[in-house]
Amino acid sequence: MAEVSVRALVGTKKEDLSLEVLTGEGTLDTSIYSVEVNRLGLCLAGYTGPFMEQSVQVIGQTEMGYLQMLSQDARRAAIGGVLAFRVPLIVITRGLEPPDALIPLAEERGIPVLRTTLVTGEFIRRMTGYLEYMLSPRLTVHGTLVDVYGVGLLYTGQAAIGKSECALDLVERGHRLIADDVVTLFRRGRAVIGQANELTGFHMEIRGLGIINVQALFGIRSVGMHKRVEVVVNLAEWTKDRPDVEYERLGIDYAHVDMLGVEIPKVTIPIFPGKNITVISEVVAMNHILRVHGCNAAMDFEKHMIELLSQKRSAESYFLDVEE
Amino acid sequence: MERTIEIKNSLGVHARPAAMFVQTAARFKAKIVVERDGIEVNGKSIMGVLMLAAERGARLRLRADGSDSSDALTALADLVEVRMFDES
Repeated sequence: MAEVSVRALVGTKKEDLSLEVLTGEGTLDTSIYSVEVNRLGLCLAGYTGPFMEQSVQVIGQTEMGYLQMLSQDARRAAIGGVLAFRVPLIVITRGLEPPDALIPLAEERGIPVLRTTLVTGEFIRRMTGYLEYMLSPRLTVHGTLVDVYGVGLLYTGQAAIGKSECALDLVERGHRLIADDVVTLFRRGRAVIGQANELTGFHMEIRGLGIINVQALFGIRSVGMHKRVEVVVNLAEWTKDRPDVEYERLGIDYAHVDMLGVEIPKVTIPIFPGKNITVISEVVAMNHILRVHGCNAAMDFEKHMIELLSQKRSAESYFLDVEE
Repeated sequence: MERTIEIKNSLGVHARPAAMFVQTAARFKAKIVVERDGIEVNGKSIMGVLMLAAERGARLRLRADGSDSSDALTALADLVEVRMFDES
């Protein structure tokens, strides 16, 4: 099971989440297992469950108000009830003063308590984003990810089919390389995001030339840190002698491929020497944008066609008349 | 080799059946020509096949030229007249 250690959280997000550690250094070795960030709320009133041990628990203004309403004994009992679980982390928002008894009891139980100056809603949003990123399943694929007109195209296909060369051509035309050869994918909500491997960065191998540095060659505008994968473009060798291999001829429906549990549209483009895959890539991207905007050329064409056929005109009547 | 076929599906040869037609034709090596009222088109070109504006009841003449002509014509006739383009 994926987990995030509180020490790593403090190490990387201290500034971003404006965190302050209230308990001793030794309490930071717990781990968070769930992307859900729970407001303690009813747990303080006695409604608890095993979910307490998976998630970050938040004490905001509401919780603080409730605790202040209680007598000192009842307050201790409420906090004790929560800390009876192996809670991975408690966060107090809005920079509020921790309720008495919380810190000593938490230290005794080895549960870290952090404080943020953020308001509860904002903290939960940012924390969820971070946890989603850290806890998302990851997938490494052999392919090339390019941002073409703002659309993330993930090129797949066998080695040496020309994925890198295609990306290079696109970069030359002003599009952006995200990752070449090895693309790491993770999920954010229903989106699949791809990024480069830290080690390889924006380097690329061009057969016959060797390793090149795309950012050094084409500048900062030619690269991007990460991009949502919107269309998978599978490059396939054109098999002239294999007439049984079929390609999409109509394009009313997209084929799909599953990545990390998300269905991603997939097109298969047959390629052969001299074919301009770059222009086709730009059209794939633009056509995808059109579809997102509700315009499906193939479907509109089909409707138009059915309408015309119902008129039973002769084929000849459709030839455009250019005579004066 | 030639064969005449009749369009039987209710909507005629619109884009979906045309795509099925050219995909079937493309499985064969033979050159395939489709003709209607003197207009001839390549049987492996979707725009060509659509241009014939073949509604239900239209009769098309198929001409195949190549080693697998006979199989190609049988497959196309089956698609159009028996499977009726699967009424797509």
